[in-house]
Amino acid sequence: MRRNKSGLLRMERRWGMLLALPVTLGLLFFAIGPIVASFVFSMTDWHIGGQSSFVGLNNYETILTKDPVFTKSLFVTVYYVLATVPVAILAAFGLAMLLNRKVKGLSVFRTIFFLPSIVPRIAGTMLWLWLFNPDFGLLNSIFEYFGLPGSQWIYAEETAIPSIALMSVWGVGNYMIIFLAGLQSVPTHLYEAVEVDGGGAWRKFFHVTLPSMTPTIFFNMVMMQIGAFQSFDSVYVMTQGGPNNATLLYVVYLYRIAFTETKIGYASALSWILFVIIVALTLITFRTSRKWVYYEGGGK
Amino acid sequence: MLGNRKQRWLSLLLAAVLVGITACSSKNGNDETKPSASSSQPTEETSPSASDASPSASEASESPKEVVKLKFMYWGSTDEKKAMENMIKAFNDSHPYIQVTGEHVPGDYNTKMNTLMAANELPDVAYLGDGLTNQWGSEGRLLDFSQYYGQYPELQNKLKASYLYTEPGKAVANFTALEVMVLYYNKDIFAEEGIPLPPADPAKAWTWDEFVSVAKKLTKDKKGKHPDDPGFDAKNIDTYGFSFGTDRGTYGPLLESNGAGILDESGMNYALNKPEAVEVFQKLQDLIYVNHVSPNLIQQQNMPDNHVRLQTRKVAMVLDGTWALLDLTNNTKLHYGIGVLPKLKEPKTVILAGTTVVFNTTKHPAEALEFYLYHNNPEQVDLYKTGLWMPTEEKYYTDEAAIKLWTDNPAHPPEFLQAGIEYTKGYAVKSPSTKLKNWPEINSKLAPGLDLIWTNKKTAQAALDELQAQIQPLIKGKYPDE
Repeated sequence: MRRNKSGLLRMERRWGMLLALPVTLGLLFFAIGPIVASFVFSMTDWHIGGQSSFVGLNNYETILTKDPVFTKSLFVTVYYVLATVPVAILAAFGLAMLLNRKVKGLSVFRTIFFLPSIVPRIAGTMLWLWLFNPDFGLLNSIFEYFGLPGSQWIYAEETAIPSIALMSVWGVGNYMIIFLAGLQSVPTHLYEAVEVDGGGAWRKFFHVTLPSMTPTIFFNMVMMQIGAFQSFDSVYVMTQGGPNNATLLYVVYLYRIAFTETKIGYASALSWILFVIIVALTLITFRTSRKWVYYEGGGK
Repeated sequence: MLGNRKQRWLSLLLAAVLVGITACSSKNGNDETKPSASSSQPTEETSPSASDASPSASEASESPKEVVKLKFMYWGSTDEKKAMENMIKAFNDSHPYIQVTGEHVPGDYNTKMNTLMAANELPDVAYLGDGLTNQWGSEGRLLDFSQYYGQYPELQNKLKASYLYTEPGKAVANFTALEVMVLYYNKDIFAEEGIPLPPADPAKAWTWDEFVSVAKKLTKDKKGKHPDDPGFDAKNIDTYGFSFGTDRGTYGPLLESNGAGILDESGMNYALNKPEAVEVFQKLQDLIYVNHVSPNLIQQQNMPDNHVRLQTRKVAMVLDGTWALLDLTNNTKLHYGIGVLPKLKEPKTVILAGTTVVFNTTKHPAEALEFYLYHNNPEQVDLYKTGLWMPTEEKYYTDEAAIKLWTDNPAHPPEFLQAGIEYTKGYAVKSPSTKLKNWPEINSKLAPGLDLIWTNKKTAQAALDELQAQIQPLIKGKYPDE
């Protein structure tokens, strides 16, 4: 028995390693390799087609002290993150609450609200371009119908970021599903206990649902935060960063530096700064989570 | 024991499969960068270096010359793609020892070229934007044509303005075709309003005031009122007199016409905040917000292509390049005409075109140049007759028969002889941006700053003053003219 078992273990180990090989190699060559390379590039003045030489921390210094566009794009990105994440969390959570009720046609509703996240990003963006059209777009037509003044949406500096945030919130289906799963795993005996004690819906929500959901909220928040910092596609398609860099999200700026201005060294440095920012913010979120995230098992 | 052996075999097999997969995928990766549209060719493709490496003796005895394979990359519309494919096929048929495969790149061409450059997988011959041409030319990545003038004298027959020099005498590229900025208009609107057509003779170009007054007569709100009429509703304009893009194609010729420039004469100082330059941008801003004859930036972004704007009477006159003739002619519901641009001081326009280059990495410069000379030869390519291109060779502007060869067709209305050929010959200069060093970087700062003018956030003077601090550090001078 014993020998058999160890043979099995050995075989499992060998197969395990073999089967993990493709993923490991992929990670090594297509993720870790480029990451290390980009760090090296960030210390050079390499621009595509030209000679490159080692410049130490020059790129970082220029970015942090002499690049007004960097400052602007960072500001725009933070604004976008702050405008998107809280609203998207509320929207996804609210939708999940609604869709967790037992109503007729539940699956239809769930499909409807999940649909936007299946629509390919670019297709969704094209749709919103039409909705946002100031002259004949649907949104302004609705405003006009109710006698409200229209907006310039993504075409004016002031409203561009809120408009794009609005569009991102439209695609929260994935997060909604995660919330929905979380809601369904809230232990029912806790609700029953509240009922026994004569508590109503509000008490149930604030004393059971919300505390039980904090790990899910936390997870979604971290993921959304990272995702929002790295947003690129819709802005690239809709505004290319304009008007007057009002929607120049960080990654759009990075792309512009790398592929329009062909400064790969500088762009690599930008990407490392973004990495540091995201890591720092994620760490802060994790730190504060100890104060408000509740795990049933008592673990942290 | 058998189980064990089986296992070993299985793991070996698996390893083999894995190796196979990685090998295949890397092969596929290479194939991706290879031409996909090579219908006329045997699919057994090898890169030039690979074909160099295997000159087997028996083959050599049969065919005295080895087949040289070249890769050509280009952008363009469906029409252009078709024309290029035909040209490549004709070239391959008439040059048995050179086989060219074409690759049409839709979408963001510059990004594609940049990544190919970074990966060192460049084609032999390719279209290229003027900014990258200059940059790579000065970094020694492009073939210096002047070295081959002896071998291929035709290389010197082009119009002087069509060469791009990175150093005096060092020509690294030619414009693929010439294109100049002109004025297009809907003839029917002019006829109905009883307004004389825009001049096609460059010497009779409208002054700016004449132009604005015509544009006002053409602009109508929903009730048929013109901008100067009492009760004119600027928010509900049905037909705009004029629409223009906000890039160098618009301000470029007007700056030239006003004796202004992006940089000063020395090429080392920012000059857009000099009075002559400010005047140009202020006049353009006024067209939108003071004269009310042009749509604003947002309305423009949501308007269709120029030929549709004219056809649907959304706009009566547009500023566009000569390449637009193809679309304008294909739009059979439109009766369009061509005129010259209004002048500020002198009648002027600019040449704004992409180039074709030969990369220095090519293993076969001679064959590449042979193809180069063929690829935009008006006798081989029908893009001249369809209106997309204008020739770069001098004789097509001077020799009667040669002019007829490419202009005697529906895509070139009679007034093209003046507003196209004469305008190009006597009044067109290379776009100032083409001559600027570091233009791509300058433009990426310039364009967002100019948005403030186009959106009426700032006056031209204020916006252009503000840009100085950003642009001045990026200035690296100009490229020579010859």
